[in-house]
Amino acid sequence: MRHIRAWSIALALLVLTIMIVVPLVEIFIQSVYRDGELQLAAPFRTLADAEILKVLLGSIWLGICVIAGTTVLALPLAWIMVNTRLARWRWLDIVFLIPFMTPPYIGSMGWILFMQKNGYLEQLVPGLASVTPSFFTFGGMVTIMSLHLFPFLYLLLRGALERIGGSLEEAGAVLGAPFTYRFRRIIAPLLLSAYGMGAMLIFVKTIAEFGTPVTFGKRIGYEVMTSEIHKYISSWPIDFGKATSLASVLLTACLLIWYAQSVLSRRFTYSLVGGKGIRRSSLHSQGRGTWIYVIFVAVVLLLSIGVPYFSIIAASTMKLRGVGLAWNNLTLEYYKELLTWGSTSMRSLMNSVLLSLAASTIAVILGTWFAIVIGRSRTRMERTTDLFSLLPNTVPGIVMVVGLILLWNSPWMPIPLYNTYGMVILTYVILFVPYTVQYVKSDFGQIDPSLFQAGQVFGGKPHYVFRRVLLPLIVPGMMAGWMMTFTIASRELVGSLLILPPSVQTSATYIFAQFEQGQVSLGMAMAVVSVGLTTVMLVIIESLGSKRKWNA
Amino acid sequence: MNNFTTIKTGWNKGTSLTLVLALGLTLAGCGTNSNSTAKEASPSANNSVTNTQAADQKLVVYSAGPEGLANKIIEGYEAQTGVKVEMFQGTTGKILARMEAEKSNPVVDVVILASLPSAQGLKNDGLTLPYPEAKNADKLNPDWSDKEGNYFSSSASALGIAYNTKLVTTPPTSWEDLTKPEYKGQINIPDPSLSGSALDFITGYLSDKGESGWSLFEQFNNNDVAVAGANQEALDPVITGAKSMVAGAVDYMTYKAKAKGEPVDIVYPKEGTVISPRPAAIMKSTQHEENAKSFIDYLLSDEAQKLVSNAALLPGRTDIKAENRANLDEIPLLKADWVWMNENGADVTDKFTKLFK
Repeated sequence: MRHIRAWSIALALLVLTIMIVVPLVEIFIQSVYRDGELQLAAPFRTLADAEILKVLLGSIWLGICVIAGTTVLALPLAWIMVNTRLARWRWLDIVFLIPFMTPPYIGSMGWILFMQKNGYLEQLVPGLASVTPSFFTFGGMVTIMSLHLFPFLYLLLRGALERIGGSLEEAGAVLGAPFTYRFRRIIAPLLLSAYGMGAMLIFVKTIAEFGTPVTFGKRIGYEVMTSEIHKYISSWPIDFGKATSLASVLLTACLLIWYAQSVLSRRFTYSLVGGKGIRRSSLHSQGRGTWIYVIFVAVVLLLSIGVPYFSIIAASTMKLRGVGLAWNNLTLEYYKELLTWGSTSMRSLMNSVLLSLAASTIAVILGTWFAIVIGRSRTRMERTTDLFSLLPNTVPGIVMVVGLILLWNSPWMPIPLYNTYGMVILTYVILFVPYTVQYVKSDFGQIDPSLFQAGQVFGGKPHYVFRRVLLPLIVPGMMAGWMMTFTIASRELVGSLLILPPSVQTSATYIFAQFEQGQVSLGMAMAVVSVGLTTVMLVIIESLGSKRKWNA
Repeated sequence: MNNFTTIKTGWNKGTSLTLVLALGLTLAGCGTNSNSTAKEASPSANNSVTNTQAADQKLVVYSAGPEGLANKIIEGYEAQTGVKVEMFQGTTGKILARMEAEKSNPVVDVVILASLPSAQGLKNDGLTLPYPEAKNADKLNPDWSDKEGNYFSSSASALGIAYNTKLVTTPPTSWEDLTKPEYKGQINIPDPSLSGSALDFITGYLSDKGESGWSLFEQFNNNDVAVAGANQEALDPVITGAKSMVAGAVDYMTYKAKAKGEPVDIVYPKEGTVISPRPAAIMKSTQHEENAKSFIDYLLSDEAQKLVSNAALLPGRTDIKAENRANLDEIPLLKADWVWMNENGADVTDKFTKLFK
């Protein structure tokens, strides 16, 4: 039996190597081969530049601040959504995903349009004109990025809190521990592994993020690594070597963080899901104080969705953007243009939906397999699998995509995948498979092995144990991974711009093209429609899933 | 506990089988999708299998904006020749990045860029296929196109000062006006590392004024001129009223917004400005040489040049007049030295970026 698991690991490593490692190696070769000769020192020369070091530190500082920002939003929110009466409002979970569904550059544009001079805020409340410039600072950038990324941390923390269940905390309460003590000695240690993983992913997402730095960061003159990388990759003269040298710095930074996190989580992973069912604690269910939670949730929603979407919708319904907010300036013309059957915009929308459906399904299957292979990452093979499957999340998307093109479009490649839809799906799968791996891994790590033993003892065949014990326990993680992948894939921009076959557009590239063409209103309308569509699809899937969802 | 590993491998067997099976199925799904199309054929559903072998009916074009114009040109060409065109649309930077990534196995046949130095770069790297026999090439503005037929500028834009008509009542008349204290913090300039035309403006200005030309940009910096993304990103805040002016704005974008009714207009400063030609070139690696050549012929035809003029761009042919915009002879020009501009583009970008940091 043991050799089957070994084969499974070997196969997973092989698939990961072909999918992820080889393209990155191609990139590395590019960074050391300059002008046709091998120059191993080339990447290091790029780094000797003091300017680059400053930019790198800027990136890291931004990442740390955004971790703090998302924690302030996500931790109370997760606690509220597990422990208070608001937990019954499951639809809120999908609403919380909206900021994450919004393409980051659209969200930033929304904030800019709202806060800028003569912007919507000043048009609504002229008295605030003296306050708005203070938004265009580093603090504003951290705020925007935190409001965009917090759902990610929230989902992880909520999942972990749910698994902690009420009994442990109640035990503490019975023994007379006050709330702060219970939080410090019971909840915090149990949360640490999920939080560490979430914080690391937030950090990596932040320093690999491109949309906000390029829209908002440019405006306040805050430079980060991704904008530098992008410069070498998208303006003449194109220098993949320099770009990849910079990318390898980012990669190294991310790997260090990953290592610290994995050490941390190996120390603090506990078996939480055992034979006993999980029961919600009644400690916090009293009506008293509910209004505080409602206010907190409302404020978060107002800032993360209200403000940007006010701007986005306003911009998408304006006849003339130079006129500003006025009832006689209102039009639905752009939506009509957008939703005409058979138009380019409709085709892009359909492409987005179909491509992300295919990509997220494949990503979940692969990701679950990898997560199970990784298990509790005890052996070196398991840890290597863990590392490989996480790589796409640590490299800026654009670098990964260039590597993929180098590999799949090389003359010796026997599989003619390049410039087909298959290539787009493959790219999305590679870019987003880490999400499923993370979610399933975090579910899986907390399952007590005694459950499988119990299944075995009662005569369950391996596939029966898998189907009736393991699968139900990891389905929530798979669902979260699927939803996350679908959400991000349907708004993916950087990779799509480079990898889509000619004449094919997705909603994200369509929006981007409209901005480039000066059709901002049309682009904003598309953003509203595609985010709306994604939300509807998630609601449908969630409601289908919740009927059969495993609930202990 | 001692037989835990056995149990673990037990269900892992099941897991692996299930997942590998599912993976195999999905990959097979992808495979059937792509195997039917030939290597260079794109799968866009309706044109896959049939037309790769017989008469060559295919052409891949990478084109910089404006999108409306590019689409119309493709439509016109398809109607005339029956060739099916696959187009990738993006900024000059995106197109070049894609070409670089595809270098070992190029897909593109014809590129249309928005920056002359990039086309000169392609030519110097030996990537272009000369086509000196192109029809009407002799009528093109000789300053903008290659004598040996490596690239043809079928259209061009001019750079000026775009301003918000609600915020600026007396438009500036010279570049120096933008350094006045009343405009402090009110002006955007497109980023030369992202916008080829902004780079053309800066290098063109410097090639005319010499080293002393930098003083203008130093004063810009002192007057809090903001470097703001590519062209449209620089113009957009002016339309909404967050900024008053764009220095080195691409004129056709401003004309388009103005035609729509937005409160913007453009002036060309009296000491002169730079024209940013938009070259088209056939790639040496093309597998559809005849179609590529006929596409260039079409770009230079009366019909396509009319489309250019309708899109508020300057037609590349000297014998065709622009209609709803300023013509070439109405725009004061600096003495731009394109050879110098091409050689110094990278250094200028570097110095400019450092200056505005």
